[in-house]
Amino acid sequence: METQSTHKPIIEIVRATKVYPPDVVALEDISLSVQYGEMLFLTGMSGAGKTTLLKLICGMEYPDKGLIEVAGKDLNRIKAKELPGLRQQIGMAYQDFKLLADRTVAQNIAMAMEVAYHNMRTIKKRVIELLQKLRLEHKHDALAGRLSRGEQQRVAIARAVANSPTLILADEPTGNLDSKTTKLVMELFEDCNSTGTTVFIATHDEDIYRGSNHRVIELHSGRILQQDDRATSTLNNMP
Amino acid sequence: MKFINTIAVQTSRNLQKTWPTQVMTLLTVSLSVLIFSFFFLIYTNMIKTGERLGDDLRLTIYLEEEPVMEMQAQLVRKIINFSPVEEIRFTSRDDAYRRLAAQLGDNVDVLDDLDASFLPPSIEVYPKKNLSTLAQIQRFSEYLSTLPGAIKVQYGQEWVERFNYFTKLLQIIVLLSGFLLIMTTTFMVAYTIRLAVVARQAELEILRLLGATNNYIRTPFLIEGFLQGILGSSLGLLALFFLYRWIQLRFSGPGILQLVEFTFFSPAIIWIIIAASIALCIGGSFSSMRKFMRI
Repeated sequence: METQSTHKPIIEIVRATKVYPPDVVALEDISLSVQYGEMLFLTGMSGAGKTTLLKLICGMEYPDKGLIEVAGKDLNRIKAKELPGLRQQIGMAYQDFKLLADRTVAQNIAMAMEVAYHNMRTIKKRVIELLQKLRLEHKHDALAGRLSRGEQQRVAIARAVANSPTLILADEPTGNLDSKTTKLVMELFEDCNSTGTTVFIATHDEDIYRGSNHRVIELHSGRILQQDDRATSTLNNMP
Repeated sequence: MKFINTIAVQTSRNLQKTWPTQVMTLLTVSLSVLIFSFFFLIYTNMIKTGERLGDDLRLTIYLEEEPVMEMQAQLVRKIINFSPVEEIRFTSRDDAYRRLAAQLGDNVDVLDDLDASFLPPSIEVYPKKNLSTLAQIQRFSEYLSTLPGAIKVQYGQEWVERFNYFTKLLQIIVLLSGFLLIMTTTFMVAYTIRLAVVARQAELEILRLLGATNNYIRTPFLIEGFLQGILGSSLGLLALFFLYRWIQLRFSGPGILQLVEFTFFSPAIIWIIIAASIALCIGGSFSSMRKFMRI
C-alpha cells in the first residue's frame, strides 16, 4: 500500500458494471471516489448491490466493465503476487462472517495478523485488546462455532480491524447486534477512522448513520441513487 | 524469523488436525523405503560378493597330452591374443596328482591303487577383472575349448550362471521396488496433502481473503512433505538395520552368510536414500499444492 495521499483517492471506481450469469445485473455503471481517511456509509435495500460493491473493492470479484482502483492499484490488472499485500491492508468484515467454526475466537482474530507475519506476542496483545473493546474477553478460548450470531459478528469485526488496515470494509456489521453492542462496534470504527483508516460500511440500518457527519451513498438496483455528503445533498445518477 | 515462527505454528496446527492421515502416510513411506532398501541391500551385497568371487575366477583347460615347452609358449600366445589374463599356470599330471594327494590329507590311501598319471594335465587361466560378465566368461571358455589338445574347460559354469541369474533377478526386484517406492511415496504424500487441502478448503479461502501469500499457504504443506520424507525414510532404514542385525545374529554360524560378507549401507548410501525420499515426498506435496494454486 502506498503512503496516504490527500490527492489520490484510496478507492476510485469508474463506470463499473457487474453481471452475474445468466443476466443478473448486480451493479451498473457505478462511479465512486473515496478519499484516504474518509468514513462513509453505503445503504440500500437488500439486493441493491452493496455486498457486490464491497466484494469488487476487496478483489474478491472482478467487474465485467469499468475500472476499480484501490490504493492506486488497478484490480483488473493487479499482479497475483501483489494481491496478498493489498488484501492485508484491507480489513473486511463479511456479512456471513467467514469464521472457522472449529477454531477459537482468539485464533480466528489472530489469522488476520498471522498472514502478515506479526510476532505472536503482538498478536496475543492485540487480540485481547480487541476482545475487551468488543466485550468478548470471556470468549477468548470459545470455539467460534459455539457463539451466537451477534458474538460471531463481533469476532468478524475484530478480525477485520486486527491488522490495523488502511481500509476497513464492513458488510452489515450491526445486522445481528442490539443497540448497546452496535454502539460499541461503531465506536471501534470511529476509533479506527480517527487514526486515519478509511472505513466503508454497507448497511441498511439507518440508526447508525443518521445524524453522523459522514457521507452516505445509496444504492438502488445496482445504481448509485444518491450521494449525501451532509454538506451538499445531491442526486448522483452517474452518466 | 517471524516467517519461520508463523510457519512453524501453522505446520504444527495442521499436523495436530490431520495426524491420523499423517501417521498412515508415514507408515506407508517407511514400508516402501524398507522394501526397497531391503532388496537394494541384498543386491549391493551380491554385487560385492560377485566381484570378490570374480577375483578368484579360474578357468581350467584339461589337455589330452602334456604340452612341450614350445607348445606351452604357443598356447600362452593364443590365450593372451584372445584376452589379456592375470596369470597362466601349467599343471602336469604329476603336479595334479600331488595336489590331489595333498587335498585328501589323511585319506590319501585311496590313491594307492591308482596310477600316478591318471589325472590329465591342465592349464589354469586367471582372467583379468574386466572379464566379469557371464557372456564374456562363456565366450572366453568357448575359445579356450578350441585350443589344440583341449578336452574340456571348467570354471564352475553352473554356479557362475546361477549366481549371475540371481543377481539379474535381484536387479529387477530392486528396480520394481524402487518404482514401488517412487509411486507409493509420491502418490501417498500427494493424496494426503490433497485430502488436507480439501479438508481445509474453507480455511485456505479465508486465508487468501485475509492476504495470505502463496508461500504462507504452501510452505506448511511442503514442510509436511519434508517431514514425511525424512521420518518415513529414517524409520524404514532403522527397521532395516534391526532386521540386518537380527539376521547377522541368527545366521552368524557356518552357512551362506559366511560365503557372503554381508555389510550394511555406507553412510553415503543412507543419506542418498533419505534425500531421495525427502525429494519424492516434497515433490508429491508440491504437485498437490500446484493444483490448488491454480484454483
